Amino acid sequence: MKILIAISSREYSGQTLSAGMMVSKSFKASTTIVDVGEKINQFSIKEVDMVQERMDSWDIDRPGVDVLEWAFEYLAKKELIKTHAIEAGFPKNTLIETSGRRSEVFLEGTFCEDVNLILRNGDIIEELKNEVQNYGYDVTIIGGSGKRGMSHDLTQYINSSIFVVNNYKSNEDYRLLLAVDNSPGTRKAVKYGVRIAQAFDIEVDIVTVSKTDEFKDEYKSAVNWASKFLRRSNIKHQTIFLKGNPSELIAKEAGDNHIIVMGSSKRNPLKTFFQGNKPLKVLENSQCPILIVK
Amino acid sequence: MLGFSNQSIANFLFWVTRKKWLITTFIVSLYLFYIPTPEGLSSEGHRTLIIAITTLILIVSESIQLPAIAILILIMEVILGIDSPDGVASSFMSDAVFFIMGSLMLAVAIVHQGWDKRIALGIIKITGNKTQNIIFGFLLISAIMASFIGEHTVAAIMLPIAISLVRYTSSDKKKVKNLASVLLFSIAYGALIGSVGTPSGGGRNVIMLGYLKDSNLFISYLEWMIQVYPFILVQIPIVSWILIKSFPPEYIHLDTSVRKLVVQVAKSASITRSNIIAGLIFLLVFLGWIFFSETFGLGTIALIGVFLFLVAGYVEWDYLSKHTHWGVILLFGSTISLGSNIKSTGAAEWLADIIVNFMGNIFESFPFIGDTVIIIMTTTMANVLSSSATVAVLGPITMNMGENTLQLGLITAIASAFGYFTAIAAPACTIIYSSGLVSAKDFLKVGWKVGLISIGLLVLYKNTYWALFN
Repeated sequence: MKILIAISSREYSGQTLSAGMMVSKSFKASTTIVDVGEKINQFSIKEVDMVQERMDSWDIDRPGVDVLEWAFEYLAKKELIKTHAIEAGFPKNTLIETSGRRSEVFLEGTFCEDVNLILRNGDIIEELKNEVQNYGYDVTIIGGSGKRGMSHDLTQYINSSIFVVNNYKSNEDYRLLLAVDNSPGTRKAVKYGVRIAQAFDIEVDIVTVSKTDEFKDEYKSAVNWASKFLRRSNIKHQTIFLKGNPSELIAKEAGDNHIIVMGSSKRNPLKTFFQGNKPLKVLENSQCPILIVK
Repeated sequence: MLGFSNQSIANFLFWVTRKKWLITTFIVSLYLFYIPTPEGLSSEGHRTLIIAITTLILIVSESIQLPAIAILILIMEVILGIDSPDGVASSFMSDAVFFIMGSLMLAVAIVHQGWDKRIALGIIKITGNKTQNIIFGFLLISAIMASFIGEHTVAAIMLPIAISLVRYTSSDKKKVKNLASVLLFSIAYGALIGSVGTPSGGGRNVIMLGYLKDSNLFISYLEWMIQVYPFILVQIPIVSWILIKSFPPEYIHLDTSVRKLVVQVAKSASITRSNIIAGLIFLLVFLGWIFFSETFGLGTIALIGVFLFLVAGYVEWDYLSKHTHWGVILLFGSTISLGSNIKSTGAAEWLADIIVNFMGNIFESFPFIGDTVIIIMTTTMANVLSSSATVAVLGPITMNMGENTLQLGLITAIASAFGYFTAIAAPACTIIYSSGLVSAKDFLKVGWKVGLISIGLLVLYKNTYWALFN
C-alpha cells in the first residue's frame, strides 16, 4: 500500500498531515509527503534554476524546503520515523533531484519501511496526477481548504483513491459514514472504511440511499455485507436507510461531524465530464472529510 | 467505450481540460483563415496576423511548451506561404538573436563567478545599515548593473544578498514581511528600470535596434544612453520612494543583519586571479559594445565574451549549456522572424493605420495621447506576454503610428520594461516571485503605482527632454 499526502504550508496543512498520517498508519502504508511549489513561468525557468543554485551556495533553502522541514518535525514528534533519523535532523542535504521538477528525501519509517518527502514544482493537479501515475499510489490525500475545483478535478482524473481532508478538526467527535450501494466499488470502500474507523477509533453509520420508495435487494445485501464485515472487525455501527437524492442526503446526513467513505463511480468518464457523478456531487455538497475509494 | 478503458478516456479528458487554450487557438486560427482578407491588407499580411494571434494566445495561456510555439511559428510561416523556407530560416537568425543567445550565456558565466558576495560587501560599505539607504542602494545598483548586463543576471546576483539580510533580521517570516517585499521589489524593479538604459540591457533593446536599422535609422550605444539613461535616473528615486511607502519596513536599522552578512561574505570574499580575469573579460565585452557594436554588432561581441570565458576555462560548456534557455532563444528567433514578416507584408502599417484612424485627429492634435496609447499597449502586452516578445511583435506596428519612428521605437522599448504588474512579465520579477517571499498580490499592490507613474513620466520625458533633440 502506498499513500501520497499533499501539503502546502505549515499554516494550512496541519490537519491534512495529521489526518493523512493516521490513515497511513492504519494501513501501515509506505508514505510520501509532497509539497507542490508554484509553477514557474516558462520564460524564466532556467534563470530561476540558476538563482536557486546560487542560493544553495549562500546556504539559503529553496522554497518548499521549510514545508518539508516542518513535516519532518511533525513525523519526529509523533515518532513516525526511526530514532536515528530524528537525531540526525532534517537531511536537507540529501534532497535529491530525481527529475527537473521533482526532488526527494528518504526517511526510514517506524510503521512502514519508508516515509519520503518530496518537492515538486508546477501546476498542482498535473503534478499530483503525474506523481500518482509514475509512482503508483493507492490513496492520495489532499486538504479541502484549497480551490474547490482542485479536489473535484483530482477525484475525476487521478488514478487512485482520494481522501479530501475537508474541515477536519482533530478534537471533533467524528463518526464514519459508510455510504454503500450496489456499485462494484462498495466492498473495497467497506474494507477501507474499517481501517479508517480503527485508526480514528470511531463508530460507523452504514448509509444506503434509494431514489425510489423501494430498496433494491442489492442495496440491502450491500448493507448486510458491510454490517457483517464491521461486526467481525469489532466496530460499533448502525445502519441507516434513506430515500431521496443520494448525493444530497449523504452530504446532509454527514453534516460536519462525519468522515464519509464511499466507492467511486463506475460511470463512463465522458458522462461524468458533462453530468458529474454521485461521489463528485457528494464531494461538492459535503462539509466534512471524504474518502472516495477507487 | 470503443475498446478504451475508463482511465484512458479520463486521461484524454484531462488532456482536453489542460489544453483547452490550444484547442481554442486552433479553432480561432481556422476561423480567421477562412474569413475574407480585410480591405487594405494583403493576403500574406492576413496570414501573418493569424500566426501572430495564434502565438499570442499560446504564449499567454502557456498551453504548450515555449520551444513548441517557436517551432510552430516557423512551420506556419512556410506552410501559409508567407516566405520561402530559406527566407524564413534567414529571418530567424539575426544579430539580435545572437545577442540574446550571447547575453544568456554571459549571464550564466558571470553568475557562475560568484561575484555576488563581493557585491554584497560593496553595497553594504556604501549604504551603511540604515534600511532606507539599503533599499535605495539595492534599487540603484540593480538598475545600473542591469543597464549593462541584463536584468536576470542582476536578479540572480542580488537575490541571495537580499534574502540573507532578511533571514539575518528575523527567522519569523511574518516579522519581516515588508522588509522582504521592499528589498526584493527594489531588486526586480531596479533591474527592470535599468534594463532599458543601454542596448545591452536586454534582448528587446537589440530587437528594436534591428527594426530601426531596417528603417535606415542608426543609433549608437552611446547615443542610446544619452537618449534613455536620464529617464532611468529620474525613475530610481521615485520608485524607491513608492516602494518604501507601499511596504514600510519593520526595522529602521539593520545593524545585526548587516554585521552577520559582512561576516558571512568576508569568509569567501577574497578576490582571486581568475575573478580579475573574468572581470576583465566582461570589461572588454562592455567596451566592445560601446565602441565597436556598430561594426561588429552587439550579438557578435557578446559571443566573443562567451568564447573568452570558455577558452579561459571559467565556465564549462556542459554547465553553460545546461543553464542557457535554448527554448527562449528559439522563441525570440521566431518572434523576430514573425515581426519582420508583420512589417514586410504590410500588416504592421495596416494595423497602425486602423489604430490611428480610430483615434481620429486626436493623435495629430495632441501627440502625447498617441504616445500614451503606444505606451499603454506595450505595457499591457509586456505584462501578459514577455517584454522581448512584445517588442518583437508590437515594435513594427507602433513604429508606424506617428512621424518620429526613432522616438516611437524607443518608447516601445522603454515601455516594454514596465512589467511591474505581474510576476511573469520579466525574468527579474519571476526570480523574486520564485523565492516565495512575495505574492502575486504584492505585484499588483505596488505595480499599479509604479506602472502609472512610469507611464506618465515617459510621456512627459518624450515630450520634454526628447523635444530638445528635435
